[in-house]
Amino acid sequence: MSILIDSATQVLIQGITGAQARFDLSYSREYGTRIVAGVTPGRGGEIVESVPVFNTVAAAVEATGAHASAIYAPAQYVKNAVFEAIEAGITLLVCLAESVPRHDAAAAVRFARDAGAHLIGFNTNGLISPGKSKVGGIGGDRIAEIYKPGRVGVCSRSGGMSGEICWELSKAGLGVSTCVSIGGDPLIGMRMLEVLRLFEADPETDAMVIYGEPGGTHENEVAAAIKAGEITKPVVGLLAGYFQERYPTGASFGHFAAMFRTQSETATAKRRLLTQAGAEVASSLEEIPSILKCVGTKKLLLDKANARE
Amino acid sequence: MQVNGHAASGVYIEEAVQIQAEFFLSYGFGEVGPRLIVSCFGGVDIETEVALGSSQATVCDINPVRGITQWDAMGLWERVGADRKHLVALASITVNLYHAFTEADALLLEVNPLVITMQDTLSIVGLMMEIDASALYRHQEWSDPDGEAIGLGGRPVTARERLVLEANKALTGGAIRYTELDGDIALLVGGGGAGLHQHDLLTLEGAWPANHSDLSPSPTPDKPAVLFDAVLAHPNVRGMLLGVNLLQLAPCDLLVKAMLIALKRSDKDPKRFPIVIRLFGPREKEARELAASIPGVQYLPYGASLRDGVRAIVSAMSGVNNQ
Repeated sequence: MSILIDSATQVLIQGITGAQARFDLSYSREYGTRIVAGVTPGRGGEIVESVPVFNTVAAAVEATGAHASAIYAPAQYVKNAVFEAIEAGITLLVCLAESVPRHDAAAAVRFARDAGAHLIGFNTNGLISPGKSKVGGIGGDRIAEIYKPGRVGVCSRSGGMSGEICWELSKAGLGVSTCVSIGGDPLIGMRMLEVLRLFEADPETDAMVIYGEPGGTHENEVAAAIKAGEITKPVVGLLAGYFQERYPTGASFGHFAAMFRTQSETATAKRRLLTQAGAEVASSLEEIPSILKCVGTKKLLLDKANARE
Repeated sequence: MQVNGHAASGVYIEEAVQIQAEFFLSYGFGEVGPRLIVSCFGGVDIETEVALGSSQATVCDINPVRGITQWDAMGLWERVGADRKHLVALASITVNLYHAFTEADALLLEVNPLVITMQDTLSIVGLMMEIDASALYRHQEWSDPDGEAIGLGGRPVTARERLVLEANKALTGGAIRYTELDGDIALLVGGGGAGLHQHDLLTLEGAWPANHSDLSPSPTPDKPAVLFDAVLAHPNVRGMLLGVNLLQLAPCDLLVKAMLIALKRSDKDPKRFPIVIRLFGPREKEARELAASIPGVQYLPYGASLRDGVRAIVSAMSGVNNQ
C-alpha cells in the first residue's frame, strides 16, 4: 500500500494546455500515472497528447471518473481552480503554484478541509508512490534510480530535499512507500502531521522521514503527536537552517515560509522538541539510512521481547 | 519623507481625542487561516496577555469562506468584558475592519488603540497594516517600484543585493535571491531546502559563507548569470560552491552556462579561485562538457552528496590558502 495515490488513482490536470503541465504530463504518463483528463476553460474538445480536454472540472469528472487533480493554474487563479475542483467532487488536489495570495490560500485550504478533501501545496513539486504513480513534477530523468519502492514514508517541506532524501535511501538499499512534498508557501493545505497520520495508519509504511525548516510549527506539532503516542512508528528528522540563528529574526533565506519569528520556530528548538519526544534527528542526509536501520533493529528487538513476555 | 524605505505620500493630522475606554483589535494569520485578537486593553503588551490566558483578551480563528458576522463579533467582545453599551459599535467596526483586511489583501491589520471617546463615539487612534506582496498585483495603487528594499536586520541593501533585486524586476524567469553576509565562500545554492542544508554543513566545517542565495528555474541563463555576478562580486570571496539539489525538471547545463557568462564578466581566474560544482539531473552530460572547458573547475562525480560538495570547497580553499 501507499498513501494518497497508487496505481488506481485517476488524475486530471487543470491547466493542461500550459507548458509546464504538458512537460509533467509526458513524464507522469511514462511513469504510469493514469492521467485521464485535462481542463482548460475554452479549450474543451481538444486533445493534448491523447488526453481529452474539457472546459470544466465537472464535465471532466463526469466523463472520466477522475478523483485527483494536479492544479497548474497560476497563483492568481488557484483559489477558483480549487473551489471548482472540490465542487466537482475531486478529493485529492495538488497545487503547484507558489506565492499564492494569503487570503486566497486560506479560503482554498478551508474549503478543501470542509469538504474532507486532501489539498497538497501550495508551492509543491507533488508526490510519488514509487512504482505506482506520481502527481506533479516530482521525479526527473532518473526517477527509477532515485525513488525505489519500499516501506519508508517521506514528508518534506522542500521538493528538492524530497529527491535528496529518497536518493540517500535508495543508495542504502531502502525504498519509499510514498513521498509527499507538502509545499514551501507560508499557508499550505495538508500539514506535516496530517501526512504522518496517514503513514501511521498505512500497514505498508514502517518508518517515516521528515524534512523540516525554521518557521511555522509543523515539526512542533509532530513532536507533540509523538509524545502523545499518536505517532508510534519511528520518525527520523532532518532539519536545515540552523545557520539562520546567527542572523536577526525575520530574515528569510530560502522558502518564504522558512523564516523564524520566535525562538520556538528555530531549527535548534525543533530539533530539541523532536529529540525529546523520542524522534531521531540526523545531522546530514547521509546519516538518515543508518539511523533508520538502527531504529528498525531496535524496534525489531523490542517487538521480539514483547512477544516473549 | 521615507518610512521603511517607502516614500510617505501624505501626513494626516487629527485632533487629539478624549479617551473614555481603550481596546485592541488585530487581524492576522495563523498557520491555517485568518485570526482575530480582541482585548479590552489598548496599548498593552497584547501577546503577553494572550499567552497568559487573560480573560480580557481572546483569539479567534476565522473561517475565511464564511467570514466574520456581527453576532460572532458581539460574542467576542462580550467574552472579553466590553461594556454592554459599546457592544453594537464594537461589533460593527470589527466586521467592517474584516472587510478592509480581506479587500486590502492585508497580512496584518492592527488597531491599537481603538477607543471610545468622551462623546461616546468609536475612534481608531492607531492603525497598522501589512499588505501581502504576493497579492500586490491586485493593488497597483500601493505598489511602490521606487521603494527602497531593506537588507538583513534592517541594514541598507548592498550594491550586489540591489543588482539582484533589479534583475528580478527587469528580466523574465524564476526569482533569484541573494543575501549578503561577511564570510569568504561564494555560495550559489539552489533549491530552498538544499541551500539551507549546505549552508548549515559549511558552518559545521567551520567555514563562513559570503552570502546566501536561492533561485527558481529560468528558461534562459541570463537571469541566473546576474546571480552569479553578484555572488562573485563580493570583495571577500575566495572560492565558490555551485551546489543544487538533484534537479528533477530544470536542465543542469543552463546553470553552467550562466556561470560561464558571469565568470567571463568577472575578474576571477578559476585556477586560483576554486570552484566546486555539485549539480546532477537532466542534461548533466552537456553541463560537464561545458564545465570542462574551464581549467580548475571541480565538477563532483555523479552521486556525490551535498556534504561532499561542502567538504570539497572547504578543502580546495584551504589548499589555495596554503600555497
